[in-house]
Amino acid sequence: MYLKPLPTPATHVFWDGLRRREFLVPRCNDCGRYGWIPYPACRKCQSENLEWVAVSGRATIYSYTLVHRGAGAFAADVPYAIVAAALVEDPTACVVLANTTGIAPEDLHIGMEVSIAFEDIPGEDITLWRVTS
Amino acid sequence: MPFPRRQTAIAGVYRTAQGKLPDRSAFSLQLEAIKGAIAEAGMQLSDIDGLMTLSGSNHHQAQAGSPTDTHQFWAEQLGGRPIRYISLGGSSGQIAKASAAIAAGLCEVAVLFYGRAGQRLGPGGSTVPTAAPRVPEWSWTVQGAYMTPFYALWAQRYLHEFKVTAEDLAEVAVVNRYHATLNPESVMGRKGEITVQDVVGSRMIADPLHLLDCSLDNDGGYAVVLTTAERARDGAKKPVYVLGGAEAVHTDLYLSQDGDWFPPQGRSVRRAADDAFALAGVSRDDIDVFGSYDCFTITALRNYEEMGFCELGEAAAFVKEGHTRLGGKLPTSTDGGLLSGSHCGDPSGLPIVEVVRQLRGECGARQVPDAKIGLTHQQGYAVHGLTSAAILAVD
Repeated sequence: MYLKPLPTPATHVFWDGLRRREFLVPRCNDCGRYGWIPYPACRKCQSENLEWVAVSGRATIYSYTLVHRGAGAFAADVPYAIVAAALVEDPTACVVLANTTGIAPEDLHIGMEVSIAFEDIPGEDITLWRVTS
Repeated sequence: MPFPRRQTAIAGVYRTAQGKLPDRSAFSLQLEAIKGAIAEAGMQLSDIDGLMTLSGSNHHQAQAGSPTDTHQFWAEQLGGRPIRYISLGGSSGQIAKASAAIAAGLCEVAVLFYGRAGQRLGPGGSTVPTAAPRVPEWSWTVQGAYMTPFYALWAQRYLHEFKVTAEDLAEVAVVNRYHATLNPESVMGRKGEITVQDVVGSRMIADPLHLLDCSLDNDGGYAVVLTTAERARDGAKKPVYVLGGAEAVHTDLYLSQDGDWFPPQGRSVRRAADDAFALAGVSRDDIDVFGSYDCFTITALRNYEEMGFCELGEAAAFVKEGHTRLGGKLPTSTDGGLLSGSHCGDPSGLPIVEVVRQLRGECGARQVPDAKIGLTHQQGYAVHGLTSAAILAVD
């Protein structure tokens, strides 16, 4: 049974995309900037002309940490990794926080090429994103 | 329009006991702190006509939700008199804003206060639920993140970019602990000095941050009374004048931050520090004592860089050279800071209390000789995202 915190979807297009194995990011149709997580208007040019687009899911590790002390159900997982992964589409604008799957802790390093993976949470209506090698 | 330099002054400060305080409530700590600071200023509670509140000071759950809840609660609690000035934000920025307000006649006696008991910031005491808790959709708890892992991400990237080591980070904790041993009011001073090996040998919390790289998480409260320079001169204590101050914010959520975490032009901390120095009309070399918001060792290093005391990537060397230790050119966190002094939930006013006491010459074994000008700092909210600085002075 999954006992870790789960998000309460409000931005349904994003969470529906995860279920279809798509990682959707708002892109500004006026200036082209990608801006995850969503804001109602582009954070660069303030245009409301935004569109959700699926990105490739390819990313590089910008930073990472191995957490040895976790809250709640995360305590059973220590050490677990949290990474900041820069999407290749626009690495200056899109750094995504994620847990990892299928990456040995000792292999994690800055600059590592990873891709976004998807995990359906059993018994819940949520699919989460992870990064994997 | 110039900042009203030396037109306002801190007339009283107070720091409650800090540590594990199981018999206290947040309210009782706040009330004790307000009463204590007002008494030190030689005033009555009825003199207060401005309230500078910090996060988590609300007491009426029924009303929680408005940004002014805490001001409203305390306005009633202090007698239902018209309070003429209310503000939010980090402590040093609130001192700056209230100074401008007092100089403009909006109020005359503003009190900054905070107190917390019985809450914990980290995973300590958390239990495993019987069902997955539902949280806001962009909550970092979904990834098992909390403050320490996020600062660890920041630290890991910093170590990578600037060829700094965990041992370099540890030097900060060593200095803080040394200062704490000279401060009888510090939480960790009685445990004695520590070495770099003690820090890197302590339990790993989130790589590369060890237990001793992290701030404390204890109970405690404090208050600061700001008034006109004229009125402060009537008090029992030497007035500590406000020369300038500023605040800045650029981040929202921790979950996603744009790349380039260390831009050469800086962000909010650089901006607030530059503004504070410009408004105060003093230079970095004029600072005799620095109250730094050093919630993790990495934060302390970044503070020196962004506040203009050394170049980007050079803070570890700056600390190793001894500049931040008592006796150095920039004695910092002389109370032990947030790592060894106290971190009572929102400790952003504690550096102000310590710098005020240093400038008054009240610090005993840890006194900076002839300290005349001090700098206070506060930061937080998605690392260096919401910040403020103030520059204080005595005649």
